[in-house]
Amino acid sequence: MIPRGVRYALSGISWPLYALLYTPLALVAYYSFAPAPNEAGHSLHAYNLLLHDGDVFSALRRSLILAIGSAITSTALGTLLGYGLCRFRTPNAKGVLAHIPSLIIYTPIIMPSLVFGISELIFFNLVHNATGMLGAGLETMIIAHITFQVPYVALTVYARLAGLDRYLFDAANDLYANGLKSFLYLIIPLVQPAIIGGFMLGITLSIDDFTISFFTSGPGSVTLPIYIYGAIARKGISPEINAIGTLMIGTIILLALIHFFITRHRDRAGQFAARGSIS
Amino acid sequence: MSASVPTATLHPPKRGAISIRGITRIFTGSTPAVDHVDLEIHAGEFFTLLGPSGCGKTTLLRMLAGFETPDEGKILISGKDMEDVPAHKRAVNTVFQSYALFPHLNVEQNIGFGLRMKGVKTPERKKRVNAVMEMMQIGQFATRSAAQLSGGQRQRVALARALVNEPDVVLLDEPLSALDAKLRSELQIELLRMQKRLGMTFIFVTHDQHEALVMSDRIGVMSQGRLEQVGPVLDVYEKPRNVFVAEFLGLSNIWPITPTGPHSAASPIGELGIAAPLNGASMAMIRPEKIWIYNDTAVPKDRANLFLGTVREAIYMGASTQYRIELAGGQSVLAFDTNNQAAERSWRPGEPVAVELKPDNIMLISP
Amino acid sequence: MSGALKTEQEIEAGRQRLRLWVTSGPGLVWIMLFLLIPSAVLLGIAFFSSDDYGAPVLPLSVQPFQQVAGYSLLGWDPGNITIFLRSLGQAGTATLVSAALSYPLVFFILSQREDLRPLLLLFIVLPSWTNQVVRTYAWLELLGPNAPVSWAAHLLHAVPPDLGLAPGSFAVTTGLAYNYLPYMIVPLYASAEKLDWTLVEAGRDLYASGLRLFWHAVFPQTLPGLLSGVIFVAIPAFGDYVVPQLLGGDKALMIGSLIANQFTETPDWPYGAALTIIMLVFTGMGLVGFRILTRKLGGAEEVTI
Repeated sequence: MIPRGVRYALSGISWPLYALLYTPLALVAYYSFAPAPNEAGHSLHAYNLLLHDGDVFSALRRSLILAIGSAITSTALGTLLGYGLCRFRTPNAKGVLAHIPSLIIYTPIIMPSLVFGISELIFFNLVHNATGMLGAGLETMIIAHITFQVPYVALTVYARLAGLDRYLFDAANDLYANGLKSFLYLIIPLVQPAIIGGFMLGITLSIDDFTISFFTSGPGSVTLPIYIYGAIARKGISPEINAIGTLMIGTIILLALIHFFITRHRDRAGQFAARGSIS
Repeated sequence: MSASVPTATLHPPKRGAISIRGITRIFTGSTPAVDHVDLEIHAGEFFTLLGPSGCGKTTLLRMLAGFETPDEGKILISGKDMEDVPAHKRAVNTVFQSYALFPHLNVEQNIGFGLRMKGVKTPERKKRVNAVMEMMQIGQFATRSAAQLSGGQRQRVALARALVNEPDVVLLDEPLSALDAKLRSELQIELLRMQKRLGMTFIFVTHDQHEALVMSDRIGVMSQGRLEQVGPVLDVYEKPRNVFVAEFLGLSNIWPITPTGPHSAASPIGELGIAAPLNGASMAMIRPEKIWIYNDTAVPKDRANLFLGTVREAIYMGASTQYRIELAGGQSVLAFDTNNQAAERSWRPGEPVAVELKPDNIMLISP
Repeated sequence: MSGALKTEQEIEAGRQRLRLWVTSGPGLVWIMLFLLIPSAVLLGIAFFSSDDYGAPVLPLSVQPFQQVAGYSLLGWDPGNITIFLRSLGQAGTATLVSAALSYPLVFFILSQREDLRPLLLLFIVLPSWTNQVVRTYAWLELLGPNAPVSWAAHLLHAVPPDLGLAPGSFAVTTGLAYNYLPYMIVPLYASAEKLDWTLVEAGRDLYASGLRLFWHAVFPQTLPGLLSGVIFVAIPAFGDYVVPQLLGGDKALMIGSLIANQFTETPDWPYGAALTIIMLVFTGMGLVGFRILTRKLGGAEEVTI
């Protein structure tokens, strides 16, 4: 397909690009091993500081609560949403009404996160002023994170279901499984990879996000990204910040790789299910 | 209800008999997919629904399985009205065109799925699954996933998954269409043997007329939601009721006719003698293999329906050769001749010949 | 008969609608409540006057939009226009850079063994899964003053000493391209994967040089992916907040920061809301424009729900 000379050229361009992608991240890790003041060489000084930094630990705790809490809720909402749209929407429905669910689902995806964040800021502010509920804090952050995760989970689940041979549902029905049994013994096991994938995606999106968190957070709900941002704004980059960054980068890469290799063999079976009759 | 009791006792409905009465299914905004179909299928028979794609045969099958609800009419399976019986409670199992094997289960679990859903306990289930796997010769694949099987093996698993439940009726929706020709004809024979051995009612849907002829006890030919003709294979092939059936089941020569006497009619190729009583029929049909071809030097004397012509096309097909012969009037007839003495009895394009259409072999059909 | 038939179908349709609402309802209502209504409120605020604290008050007013255009008590000021143009320029450059990098990467991945491809793709996407702030400030380490790259740039007399490549426009472009590269790669890869190589083989006889072959036989087939990629990169890059904040400094203010300032440092909600509307109008026009272009070019639809 691709001539050999072009292949060499592509490799020659691409490997340095791969290296460039990881260079900034590697530098963060490199600087995290900076020595303590007035010392030379490398050390775990910054990590030692982290261990005794209560603010960092509470930020980490909030980040985890935010990520896991929002991902669990959005996985539940998104799975039901994707399932419902795939199975119960009238096929070939026409008119404006039929497009409303799609429009709603795509809004959080295409809306710039700044607009997203500011809308939430104003909305929560107004609701809080009017009712006293939903003051800016971890609660409002979780709500906002759920909102931007739900569409991604729904799309993941929907894509999985829509890609399945539709006769599988008939087959289960034909083999004496009623609606509930079909859901338990066919749909859940089949969609399970997508549900887990959706959950992981939710966690990833939550950890990745800064903008929306920033505008929905309150004084008492500093999460790790907000902590880092604040620290940089106040006093620039420090080895301690680099140490937090290194741990975050390492954790994400590790989790992603584990998830990749676990789901790999499952995906093969999934591809078969999607292909159906084509053998 | 009370009126039907005496007939029921006279002819107790057999397990696996199906009665379809005035079934109609209309999908919103289109012409009926199935249009007032009446059909009786006997217990233990191999019945084929034959028709082009979109004729409604699959919809009819899906209504028997319970996946679709008829808009009108009644379906009785083993004498029971199926109106309020959902798919998962019917003693009917389906073999899908795509096989629809569960990708998250292995072969054994796939086959046992139905029994598991019915609540059959493990030891009993295992015994029955093993028995059916042995019968289908797929025991060695028990722990493989469906993705690891070939097309033919998947087909066997799909069939085993239906048979293990010992249903009254097995529905087969073009189950062989994804297989290559050789495997297909092997499985046709195997399927037929299996059905005869188990004595279950098999309802087989296909668009392949050859497959229908090979396998069925009886055929129902469908077109545009209607049953055009139902009957034993031989009858439907030899005595098609109308042009559609004649053309769908194999090749045929069809002409419009106007009767000129009790056993003779004018046709575009000339005056035809016809054995069957005409009764105002307007179309006549003869199958190509029922046409005799002679060298023009050896034409028999004193026979009815002899026409002279020239071979225009000779397509060699192994066992037989298909000829297109242009008659003196410019009309063409299609004729088959077996190649049992190929050396002496074959004609090349351009050769003058005579064809004989025996009056017995000309069938009257409706448009 | 037909009356009974009608109700039977109506009952079934009703049941189906109920199932749809029970399953999809909660998610849809959630998004409506916590995103559609809030953003409608935000947009509405643009038509109010602001009080001394920057909060919206009656009467309704078009003053916020006049502010956006650069008119104030002090007369007309081109500052906002500059910021808009700079944002467009930054987003455009970042899109071009990521497209230029994506082609070799995508075809490099496609030239590798089939079972390696997902992993190679993963390694491109991975950096974008780390936190926005972390991966953005990471570039400060590389481009900031006294960092190796800035030192090299200084040797080439590209920047004055003591001043790094960051903060500044160069750093913003780099940061945007780095952040959004996967959004270009993934759709481009999806369309390149489906490439009809027989067309390329056929083209080999027609076009002597490799570049012409690429241009005539390969590039048109990847166009749908490229156009999706352009949308996925340009729109978020245009309104990005984190990158210009961390890498831009004062000289490289972008629309995102300008909007954010109206809600944080120097509150003026109606003005900020008006800016948001203008930004959304721009993105909306870009989106529609590219949709039309994609459709005209016969591009494939992305996965739609």
